[in-house]
Amino acid sequence: MSEDGHHPAPVSPIERRVAALEALLTERGLVPDGFIEEITRRYESEIGPMNGAKVVARAWEDPAYKERLLTDGTAAIAELGFGGAEGEHIVVVENTPAIHNVIVCTLCSCYPWPVLGLPPAWYKDPPYRARMVREPRAVLAEMGCELPGDPEIRVWDSSAEVRYLVLPERPSGTDGLTEGELAGLVTRDSMIGVARL
Amino acid sequence: MSAPLSLSELDLPRRNGELAFDAPWQSTVFALAAAVVDRAFAGDREPFRRHLIAAIAAEPERPYWESWTAALEATVATLPERPTS
Repeated sequence: MSEDGHHPAPVSPIERRVAALEALLTERGLVPDGFIEEITRRYESEIGPMNGAKVVARAWEDPAYKERLLTDGTAAIAELGFGGAEGEHIVVVENTPAIHNVIVCTLCSCYPWPVLGLPPAWYKDPPYRARMVREPRAVLAEMGCELPGDPEIRVWDSSAEVRYLVLPERPSGTDGLTEGELAGLVTRDSMIGVARL
Repeated sequence: MSAPLSLSELDLPRRNGELAFDAPWQSTVFALAAAVVDRAFAGDREPFRRHLIAAIAAEPERPYWESWTAALEATVATLPERPTS
C-alpha cells in the first residue's frame, strides 16, 4: 500500500490542465488504477543511468558481449533485462582515442529510456539541441568535456526509429575492478557523450 | 504554504544530481502520455512524438513539460469521442 493516495489540489494553470487530462483519460478508461504512481515509481527508482552503467561495465569486461552490443544494441541490452518504451532500437556507438561520440535529439527529446532513464533538463533545451550539431566541440568544451588528442567528433541525432547510447572508453587503471565496481564509475553524461571518464 | 516534504521525496534518487521530475504534475502528465500511447495507440509512440515535435517547434522557449502537456492535449483531441472497447 502507498502511504498516502492524496493529491494536493491543483493550483497553477498547468496543473489544472494536467488534472483535466487525467480526469478525461480516466473517464475514458485509459488510465488503470495505480498506473500513474507505478510509472512514476519506475522512472524515479528503477529506470535510469544505473542500467546503462551495467551495460557499459559488462561490455568492458566481456569482449563477446561488447561485440553483440555494438552489433545489436537492443538485443544485448535485453540480455541484462532492460527494454521497453523508447528502447525498441538502440544503437551503441563506441568511443575510442580517435572518435568521440555524442547524442542529441534536434527535434524533441528522443533518448534511450531503458538504459538512461528520462533525459536531463539541458538535453531537452533549445541551446543544446541546436548547438550540439552546429558546434559540438565548443558545446563540449563549455560543458567541461575536454577531448585530448583532438578526436573526430560524431554527433548522433536520435529519431523516431533509433536511440543512441555512447559506450565510453574504459578508464586506465581499472584492471582489477569487478564489474559492479566498474559500473559505479560510469556516469550518465559519459553515456550521452558530454563527459569522459 | 508549501506542501510538507514526504518521505518519498526525501528518498528519491538523485543520480547525477538530477531528478526525473521536478513536480508531481510532470510525472502525472508523463504517465498519462504513456497510458495513451499504450492503450489508445497500441504502443505506437509516433503520433504523440509528432505532436511533441510540433509543440516544441511552436514555442521553443516554453518549458519542456508544458510542451509535453500541449502535445498530449493535441494527441487526445485526435482520439475518437468514445472508446471502441
